[in-house]
Amino acid sequence: MKKYILKRLLTALPVLLMISIGAFIMMNLAPGDPTDLYITPDATPVQVEATRTALGLDQPYPVQYVRWLGRALRGDLGINYSTRYPVLPILVSRIGPTIVLMGATLLFSYLVAIPLGILSARKHGTWVDTLLTGGAFVGVSIPNFFLGLGLIYIFSVRLGWFPTGGMSQLGEESSILTVLHHLILPVSVLSAFYIANMTRYMRATMIKVYGENYIRTATAKGLAAQVILTKHGIRNALIPVITIIGTDLPRLVGGAIVTEQIFQWPGLGRLTIMAIQQREYPMLMAITMLSAVVVLFANLFVDIMYAVVDPRIKYN
Amino acid sequence: MSKMKSVLKYGTIVFASSLFLSACGNGDVPDLDEDASSEEGAEESAESLPEVDAGDGSTLMVGLTNAPDSFNPFYRPGVAGTWIQRFFYDSLLVMPTADSFEPGLASFETEDNQVFTVNIDPDANWSDGEPVSADDVAFTLNTIADPQVETTLGTSVAMIEGTDSSGVREEGTEELAGVEVVDEKTLTITTKSPVDLAYLSEFLGFNVLIAPKHVFEDIEIVDIPNSQEATMPSVFSGAYQFVEYDNDNYVHLEANPDYFRGAPAIETVYARVMNGTSLITEFQAGNLHMTAGGGIGMVPVQDIGLLEDIEGLVVEEHPSFNGQYMVINNEKFDNLEVRQAFAYALNRELTVENLLGGRGEVLASTYSSASPYKDDSLEPLEYDPELAKEMLEEAGFDFDTPLEFVVPTGNAVREQNGNLIEQWFSEIGVTVNLNSYDFPTWLSMAQDLDYDIGLMGWGHTVDPNIASYIQTGGASNNMAVSDPVVDDLIEQGMAGTDFDERYPIYAELQQHMQDEMQIVPLYSDSQFSVQVDNLNGGIKEYWAGSLHDLHEWTLDTEE
Repeated sequence: MKKYILKRLLTALPVLLMISIGAFIMMNLAPGDPTDLYITPDATPVQVEATRTALGLDQPYPVQYVRWLGRALRGDLGINYSTRYPVLPILVSRIGPTIVLMGATLLFSYLVAIPLGILSARKHGTWVDTLLTGGAFVGVSIPNFFLGLGLIYIFSVRLGWFPTGGMSQLGEESSILTVLHHLILPVSVLSAFYIANMTRYMRATMIKVYGENYIRTATAKGLAAQVILTKHGIRNALIPVITIIGTDLPRLVGGAIVTEQIFQWPGLGRLTIMAIQQREYPMLMAITMLSAVVVLFANLFVDIMYAVVDPRIKYN
Repeated sequence: MSKMKSVLKYGTIVFASSLFLSACGNGDVPDLDEDASSEEGAEESAESLPEVDAGDGSTLMVGLTNAPDSFNPFYRPGVAGTWIQRFFYDSLLVMPTADSFEPGLASFETEDNQVFTVNIDPDANWSDGEPVSADDVAFTLNTIADPQVETTLGTSVAMIEGTDSSGVREEGTEELAGVEVVDEKTLTITTKSPVDLAYLSEFLGFNVLIAPKHVFEDIEIVDIPNSQEATMPSVFSGAYQFVEYDNDNYVHLEANPDYFRGAPAIETVYARVMNGTSLITEFQAGNLHMTAGGGIGMVPVQDIGLLEDIEGLVVEEHPSFNGQYMVINNEKFDNLEVRQAFAYALNRELTVENLLGGRGEVLASTYSSASPYKDDSLEPLEYDPELAKEMLEEAGFDFDTPLEFVVPTGNAVREQNGNLIEQWFSEIGVTVNLNSYDFPTWLSMAQDLDYDIGLMGWGHTVDPNIASYIQTGGASNNMAVSDPVVDDLIEQGMAGTDFDERYPIYAELQQHMQDEMQIVPLYSDSQFSVQVDNLNGGIKEYWAGSLHDLHEWTLDTEE
């Protein structure tokens, strides 16, 4: 297994290099010069050129890329074009809030959705199943901005139960409790989709598993329904579920752009949209590479989990 | 199974650690909490910020819809960065209203409108105890004019003797010929030719923020933008001190106790960055005291009614200096009748009434009613689609070729107006290909004249000089306007030394621009000041100058 992991990690390096080249090309193919955003309408060509030179945008693209790569390998991800703040500390400060938001969302969603999916499968064809399936449809369909604004209006503006946004109260020592208090509304909004999605997957998988011969055999042997479910049902249903979890994991750092905007959550999603709007290429490169690394690791994690869950799967 | 348990265990530990670290981090967003109370001697750091207390009026919460982009006094591309910098860097003069100037760090005197004596306030000092001196002013002006510096303020010093038309110091000189230090608190500024005192006062007196020489002089000119002092300033002449900027989230400012005009009554200011929708909900939830106003604390015009319904909130409407225009590629449309027909085709009244809900005005020419130079006798062209069609037919307009129409994204009203324009053109038989692009893309296309018509917003100063937009070769002349009459009027306008002399010139310019219709003026939407009724101070009618009495602002507390 160790060999396998090492091999996967080594093959990831050229993939990351290709991603960085692809991302760099795509960003620079976009029409418009970022310098235009960082000058005033009456700036003269001399002043524009001074800014272009200072930002390194006067160099040919290959030179810009090689310089970026050289610095990135030494841990310098460049500066924000506007504020001239270094990219790395900003990125690092945004990772924590996003992991908290998305981690809480995914954890909560799985804890709710997996039992609901199993219940829906066990009650297949009954009103319970219909209710849960209908609920899942609503959850998948409802737009985040609509649900978010609705919850803010009811629970923050009208009832005053929860803060309208942010991660904690400035001016107060942050504590886990205040963060949790600020988490409730955004997690509720984001979970609506993930619960609905995972419930549907879990339900479909469990219905399929319940139709398998080994379940019929276990039932014929007279095993208790609970034992059939836990020992044979869930374990076999986990492989497709792990695949879904694997695709969700990159969202831990991908953030939730709309929800973070609505709730002013200081995470990577909000940072990403700001960076796009302001053509902050160094920041966008950093976010892209971070996402790429997480996707690669999530895929590796999923492959390892397959082997953990299913002893038939071995990597030699 | 035991492996899976380990994974779950470590996963839980990682998540809990993230939660803990985040809780200790600086991802905070300020909330007004009536129960919060100040803790004396609290450490001012990202980890441990002073307690916010709206109850005792010590903290002001301001909403921004644009993030500050720079804290460098020599390089201020955006209004949000400039507005924030005014909290901690003072200018020589202040502008309480659009047509009045008062001493800030200094006062100006002149007898001939060419040599100006700058008398610095004897009490003006930096937060580290150093006096604000004539050397600071000379250093600031010389740095802005340095050929190597990154600056956005070239035009603010371009009238000084020894600069070229871009405000860059003439080759072969080490210092500006027009800046001479007389003594510690006095200097003279000589302009290339006599100028209107109001023009000099606005551009040099108000726009330029004075930087501390003793802090910046040891930094290489090219290194200034990335330096610690330009990104996280530590020495101030203004009413507040910069504490920290959490990128795209908030700016934290604390009162400067040694401010020469008196220590501010409000101790702490948080300027929070959020989108327009959040701005509304934060006001509804009682979490903000005011918006920044102007283009950086912008409430969507369609949502103003929501704020007006909130008890305890004062919403005031003011005309804006800025305007929205339909730009025309003059290289392609050199036929006057065609351009005029485009103007007659647009129902601009409908835009103002329906899209802005009446909260704005139809522009007759280049200036809005906020500008003292607006010619009130000039009426906007009437909506007349029949005449428009007739004029196009007479001009031999090619109705078969669609117009390439570019609408930049990011301004909901402008985008909706783009759809209306498309419809109005189709009513006169002109097909329009409407394309929406983000602003940098549109700007690039405009610079390459890769469009037929497009929508563009222009920001104006109080001074009526709009040379960069319409003068031949102007930096923002993306319409290929090249009109000797315009160029001549602009030159004459700049040569005028007072309002009475300049007004008729700019009135003629407005009439000429309407006659020639090189751009189609559309509308100017009102700007709004929104603040709680217990805030004494805040945004005034002339938004940009509203911080002139910042140190006197107070927040009344409930009895």
